[in-house]
Order: sequence, then C-alpha cells, then structure tokens
Amino acid sequence: MNMRVPVSWLREYLKTDVAAKTIAQYLTTSGPSVERIEKDGQDLIFDIEVTTNRPDAFSIYGLAREAHAILKSYSQKSQLLTPKGLQTNLRPDTNYQLPVEVIIKDKNLCPRFTAIVIDNVKIKPSPAIIKNRLEKCGIRAINNIVDIANYVMIELGQPMHTFDYDKIKRARMVLRETKAGEKIKTLDGKLRKLPNGAIVIEDGERLIDLCGIMGGKNSAVSSRTKRVVMFVQSYNPTKIRKTTQALAFRTEAAARFEKGVDLEGILPALGRSIFLAKLTAGAKIASELVDIYPSPQKKKPITLSLEKLNKYLGLTIPSSKAQSILTSLGFATTSTAQTITATPPSWRTTDCQIEEDLIEEIARIYGYHNLPSKLPKGQIPDREDSILTRVIELKKSLKFQGLTEILTYSIISRKFLELTETAEKDAVELANPLTEQWQFMRPTLLVSLADVIAKNQNLRPNIKIFEVAKTYEQVESDLPKQDLKLSVALSGASFYDIKGLVENVLEILNLEAKFEKPKQNPLFVKEFSAQIKVGDIEVGVLGLLSHKIRGYFDFKYPAVAAEINLTTLFQLPATRKTYKPVPKYPPVIEDISAIFDQKTTVAEITSSVKKLGDPLVKQVEIIDIYQDPKLGKNKKSVTLRLTYQKPTETPLQEEVTRFKNIIIRELERLFKAQIRK
Amino acid sequence: MNLQIKKALEKAKAKIESTKTVKELEQTYVEIFGKNGLLTQLTKSIKDIKPKDRAKFGQSVNAIKKEIEAALAKKRSSLDVLRSAALIDITAPGKKQQIGHLHLVSQAIEEIVDIFKKLGFSLQSYPEVDWDWYVFESLNIPKDHPARDEWETFLVKSTAKPHYGSLVLTPHTSNGQVREMERVKTPPVRMINIARCYRRQIDVSHTPMFHQFEGMLIDKNVSIGDLKGTFDYFTSRFFGPKRVTRLRPHHFRFTEPSFEVDITCGVCLGHGCRICKAGWLELGGAGMVHPKVLETGKIDSKRYTAFAFGWGIERTIAMKTDIGDIRLLYQNDLRFLEQF
Repeated sequence: MNMRVPVSWLREYLKTDVAAKTIAQYLTTSGPSVERIEKDGQDLIFDIEVTTNRPDAFSIYGLAREAHAILKSYSQKSQLLTPKGLQTNLRPDTNYQLPVEVIIKDKNLCPRFTAIVIDNVKIKPSPAIIKNRLEKCGIRAINNIVDIANYVMIELGQPMHTFDYDKIKRARMVLRETKAGEKIKTLDGKLRKLPNGAIVIEDGERLIDLCGIMGGKNSAVSSRTKRVVMFVQSYNPTKIRKTTQALAFRTEAAARFEKGVDLEGILPALGRSIFLAKLTAGAKIASELVDIYPSPQKKKPITLSLEKLNKYLGLTIPSSKAQSILTSLGFATTSTAQTITATPPSWRTTDCQIEEDLIEEIARIYGYHNLPSKLPKGQIPDREDSILTRVIELKKSLKFQGLTEILTYSIISRKFLELTETAEKDAVELANPLTEQWQFMRPTLLVSLADVIAKNQNLRPNIKIFEVAKTYEQVESDLPKQDLKLSVALSGASFYDIKGLVENVLEILNLEAKFEKPKQNPLFVKEFSAQIKVGDIEVGVLGLLSHKIRGYFDFKYPAVAAEINLTTLFQLPATRKTYKPVPKYPPVIEDISAIFDQKTTVAEITSSVKKLGDPLVKQVEIIDIYQDPKLGKNKKSVTLRLTYQKPTETPLQEEVTRFKNIIIRELERLFKAQIRK
Repeated sequence: MNLQIKKALEKAKAKIESTKTVKELEQTYVEIFGKNGLLTQLTKSIKDIKPKDRAKFGQSVNAIKKEIEAALAKKRSSLDVLRSAALIDITAPGKKQQIGHLHLVSQAIEEIVDIFKKLGFSLQSYPEVDWDWYVFESLNIPKDHPARDEWETFLVKSTAKPHYGSLVLTPHTSNGQVREMERVKTPPVRMINIARCYRRQIDVSHTPMFHQFEGMLIDKNVSIGDLKGTFDYFTSRFFGPKRVTRLRPHHFRFTEPSFEVDITCGVCLGHGCRICKAGWLELGGAGMVHPKVLETGKIDSKRYTAFAFGWGIERTIAMKTDIGDIRLLYQNDLRFLEQF
C-alpha cells in the first residue's frame, strides 16, 4: 500500500539536517521504499510503499519513528518529536456531563472502544496548515471536526470517526454484527445493502455507522453541529476485510483496520484529536471517557539466539550492536552471552512474533549492503531435471527446421472452446474472468495457433509456427490434467509436409512413429488426418485443419497442424540404437513401378514386399507416388526402390531376379497390381 | 632418362600449359593419353628399345606419366576456379536452409536455466492450476488475509476439497515450494521452477499471463549472504558484469526476512536517469523461507534454513531489451517474433 507523505509534515517530528533525498535513500535501503519524490510548491512529497505487515508505519509519525532509527544506523543526527496532545487530560471540562450508553454485543468484534463527547463546537474550515496537509495527501478538507479525524488517521495511523451527538437517538450506541438484509446510507450518500457479519452501530432506532469503513449519513457532523462524539476504535480485522470484499468498497480507514491497529495507540489518538478540537473548534470535554478494553494487549518477549542471528547474516555482529538496533526501533531488550531477549513495542506486537522477525529488523537496519555476498557452499543435490529441459532442446530443433515459436494465452474465450467441441463441464472454467476473451483454460493449443496463422496470413502464404504449453482438462474432484503439448501449424502446406515434420521430430527424439486412422476430432478433416502412435500408445494427432476452423478464421490458404502430448512422449523409452556391421559388399538396387488401387496403402505394400524379399531385400523405399486419370479410375502409380544385399558377397543377378519375380507375382496376386515395365 | 622421353615430357607440359579452357584440356588429354597420344606412342616404342634397357625405359615412362597427370590435374583445378569465379556474385544470397525463431521468453528461460544449472539447481515443473492450499495456505497466507490482495488471483469454478481448498490459477510459482519439499523430503534442495502464471491485470507492464521463475535452496547454514551471492552470480551473467544488485526490505508472508531485489539500471548503471529515476530497477522478490513454510513441508526448521526468490521473465526481458510494452510479447506478430 502506498502513502503520500509531505516532507514538511514528516520533518515536524523528525528533526534532522539530512537532505530529503538522502532520507529517502536511507529509508528505501533499510525500511519502507520511497518510490517517487514529487515537488509540491515549496514542499516535497514522498510516495512511500509501506508493506502490509507494517500498519504502524502507514502514518507520518510512524515513518518519522522509522526514519529516526534508520538515520541513526547511518550515523546521521536526528531527533524524534512526539505530536502534541497525545497525553491530553480526558477529564470533563464542563460541570455537566452528557450521557453515552455503549453496549458491545460481542467483544471479539471490537478489542478496544473509546469515545468522548465534546460540546461548544464551532464548525468552520480547518486552519490552512491542516487543510493543505490533507490535500497534499489526497484527502479533501471538509470542516474542522471532520478534518481532525482524517488528520489523526494520516498522522498516527489510527482511523477515527466523529458523530453529531444530537443525532444519536437516546444517546445509545449498540455495536453488533449485521443481520440479513440490513441497509445503511453511508456518508458518501450511497445506500448500501450490508452482508451478514458486518460490524455496525445502532442507536436507539437505526444504524448509524458501518464500523471501520464509513459512518452513516444520518449521524454525520454538519455545519450546524454543536456537540460531537469523538470516537476511536479497533475492530476485528477479518470482519472488516470480509465486509469490504463483500461490498467491493474499501476506504482509507478500512485499509488500516483490516491490518490491525496498535491498541495502546488508541487513547493517545483520542487525546490528540481532543487537543486539536480544542485548538481549532473551541471544544470542551462534556462527558466521561468511555474506554472498553476487556483484554489489554500483552507484551510478548522473543528470545533470539546469537548463533542463529549470525548464521542468517553470514557474519558475526556484536550483541551490543544488535541490541542497540532493536532499542532504536522501540524494543526493550535484555541479553545473555548467547541470546538477546527483545519485547516489541505495542505497535509491533502483531508483526514481530518469532526469532526470524528480530533477525529481519537487525539485518535491515544494519544494512543488507553490509552483509557478505558469497556462493552457497554445501552438497549439490542429486536431482533429475523435469522434462522441461528436454523441451528446450526440442524447441531448438524445431527452430532449426524453420519454425517460429509463438506464445499465446492459455486462457481462451467461450467461442474458442466451442470450436474444440469440448463440453463446458469438462473444461477448466474461471470463476472470476477478467474479460470474455479469457474464460476457459484451453484443452488444446491448436485453436490459438489457427488464430495466429489468421493474424499473420497477409504477410506470406507459408507460415510455420509452433508452441509448447500445458493444456487443461477437468478431473472430478482432483487437480485438472495438465499435460504439456507441442503444437505445430503450417499454412499453405500439405498433409505430407506436416507428417514429415512429425516424423522428423520423433526421429530427433529417437522414437519410432506409427500413423493410424484418426479418431473423431472436430479440428481436423477426417480423411486428411491421422493419429500418431509410438508402439501402442497414442501420442498425438496430425492433419489438415477442419473446414470449420478454416472458415471461422477465414484462412486464405489451407493449413495443416499437429499436436503431440509431450508428457506422454517423454515417458516413453527411446529406441536403443544397436550396432550393425557396415556391409562389405555393394548392394544391387532396383526399382519396381506398379499401378495399384488407390485404397491400397503404401504401408501394406512395403510390409508385404519386405516379407517377400526377406532375407535378400534389406530396404524398401517409396520413391514416387502419383495419380493420373490415364492410369485408370481410382488408380495410383507407386515406385518402390529395393536394396538387395548380402553380407558375404554382392548378390548374383539370378538371385535378384528370383526374388524380384516372387515379389512381382505376389504384388499382382495380393493387390491386383499392374507392373509397369 | 633418354632424350625421347624428356622431349615427350616437355611437349606434354607445354601443351597443358597452353590450354585455356576445360574443353581444350580434354582435347589435350586425348592428345597425350589417347590411342595415338603422345604417351601411348612412347609406350609403344618400347619394342624398339634394347631388351636390357627396357625396364629402365618403362620406369621412366611411368615417372613422366605421373608428372603429366599431376600437371593436368593442377591445370584442371585452376581452370575450374577461373570458370566459376567469372560467374559468381558473392553478394548474391546463398542457398540457405530456412531457420526459424525462438520466442524471447524461451530464450530467456534457456539462459536462466543454464546459469542456475552451473550452481547445481535442477529445473522442476509444478501445476499451473493448483489448490489454494499450495498457492496460499502452505505459504503462511491464511484465508481472508489481506496479503492475498497482492495477487490478483483468477479462481477456477470448482468444488472445494477438504484441506486443499478450491482451485486457482497460480499467480506465482511459489506453489512449487512446499510441493518440492514434499517430493524431496531430505535437503539439500536446489531447484528452479519456471511456469506460466496468471493475474487479473493488463497494462503496459502486465499481461494476464506471464512467466515466473522461482528458485529455492534448502540446506544447513544457508544465509542471506548465500542469497546475495547467488543473485550476483546470476545478474552478472544474465545482465552483464557491470550491473549490480541490492536487497531492499520488503514483506512476504512466506519469507522472513523478505526482500525486493533491485538491479542497477542498464542505461545509467545506477547513477539515476530518466528511465529508472533513482538508478535502480525492481527485479523481483526474495527472502529466507519462513520457518512455518519449512515446517509445513516437513523440513526441520531448526536444522535447515533456506532462501527462495521469484520474478517475472517478461520483466527481465523488458529490462534487457528496449521493449517498453510487454504485451508485445503475446501479440504473436511474426514481424516481431522474427526479429529475435
């Protein structure tokens, strides 16, 4: 959370000659970061990021306290002054006392409740200094009483509220949780329907405060107000947070209450507000102080082992130095030869609870830049890398085959999901999407690749892209299946182009691929696609992208694609390469051309030829396939190149002819092939 | 060597020397080695030699034959070179194989993995859709804790599971911390985990999906100094030796102490300039793993300490290159992708 800090205000409590820029630098290095310095007339504004564990530093005084300790460690002189009025006497100033009846239904809602009534209030604009400071912090000045509440909040980090005493019916305040359906009109004029469990205050008749978030309109201080309830509290942080989330409404006050406030700082804040009310509005205390504080904050000492401290820091720091750092931050310390025991100040009790918290305090003020920098010693673990290491190699091999890697969002729209024909119940759906564009975790990368082709198709007809990413499938009451997939898409290319690429990829990975008839897949044209198998395991699919995809993305050129499951693939054992003696005698190589029925697959042909040619035929390659009406209806010509080879000699022509004749005869018999001469 | 042979050699050499084209050279070859060629004639003339001198004659003929062949080969290669030199334009494009491009994010991942591998870190992979428990609770961030606001988390429509809670898209890679502890059981641990992360935000420096990498080292006596050393090792290799890092106090629920890690700006090297303001750029978050997190992962926090860090890959790319708007990385315009 960020805070705007006018340097002039900071300097009211931090007396030092150190330049603002240097203060900012030291704060950043050892405390809250000053992210920006802005000029504002004669003044400078620090924009400071205060981490959520330090609500105590989310205030001008808190930052002055922090800066004071830090400056000391940089050997810079400074003095910390306390705001005036923290110890204001809260006894009534008047001889009459206005009654206030307070009932707290559940003490867990409100660890401390203080209130006091002031009379004789003259509502007018605040003095210029208060107005200016509030405005520099981004808060609109309203009148002297309302401004005090904001001023004290910014200055001390303690939010507070002011009620018009005369608008509180029967002078009665009941603090409780909301019931179903209750409503309140808040100060900003909005009627808010409250969730269950919000903390509210009800007077004799109605709700007057949405506690910790914003006051009710009906009890607000106005220009005619004479008597005011000055009201300083703390609330159960979780309740405040839940309510702000349910209402989607967060205020400066709520942001502080939900992180917890210093219970011991409540009375000083009330004192400071009364001091200011007397000063700027002529107020007089006209009631007894109400202070309901059933379980006072306990002091919890923490014992830190010096050995542990030095282990963490990687150097030896004298115990006295460590203690003086803690003392400068408000901790009370005692020590033994081996330990330091430190009791955090009231404003740090929730933040500092374990040894490591003390180590952080000592280390940051000592200066992280003063700690050594060294490479970790110790044993290197014997751990295998995940498959991602192999993915890097795979990506490179694709790059060197001319493909360009893309990165698309894993979250897709409902429309894209529909294209994959995945049922919504099987998809991983976001409960709080940012826009319609990103609603589902994709079950396939292919639609995203098609989208990228469409976006780039005006550049050139041949686009070659790939992506590696996880895909997501809903699994009943378990983590979604999150397999890593490789998707490749080629536009203006043929089935054989994508098949060749997939064959290359599997060859690079040392796996032997098989291609079989595809299962139903809406992304591909059935007749122009295949499933990819290694052994009996299905690892992916490839083929021509469907007409639906082509139509939806308005492809100018047909595109082919493949998707391979790498999670599956990388679990498969790679084919082991074995040594075969290099042939000593040259082979005889001869071609056979024949006309086959179109339906006859080359896989069937080669496997028959291999069987028939055994053991003389060592290799069967398809070197040409073509179709022509001249060949006859539904016919194709296939040319096979056969390698006849023997380990002991070059095969004799008679042997070759004998095998060749058997092969030709069987091709004619099995496939009704016409041998071309 | 007799005169006849010497003359034949000189004649052949002269012929070879005088040829100007490959075609002429072929003719010359025929004139020397052909049926009626110079050398063939010479060989035939052996019958006119006295029998006692024939062996010597034969040796000499073979010797000049070799010499002539060498001269021919030399001439041929010089003619070949001349012929092609006359035709090529060295500025014309060569015949290349097409080479594609890796995405900048992949390039960065590869570099990062290589650097950390040298320090003994292994690359691990953890779910990108994970249980609330691994993403928040196990990291000391209970339900309804304001610290959850720092991650604009996407929630998944799912039924909550006892203990593990509901499903979320991981807004950081730290879900790998306790998962890694559960898997390894006994330190030492040196792991990096690189994954896609998701947050509900989009502007020039945020995309709803981005890559984060996470490092964690668990061992005996791990100190803040080890963390500093590891960062210095990484940044000097990844960003170059002139850049240095610093730790700045910060707060994360799962580390104590916690830091932001800054690196000196690449433009001004830490002096302060228009781009970086004060000389430093924020690189990522880090810290000493909170003892509660170690205990949740069943690691004895009395025996072991640990550091962890994480930051966005896109951010480091933006800091290393001139890409001002990181959304460009996800627009998949080939004209952009093919630049790298």
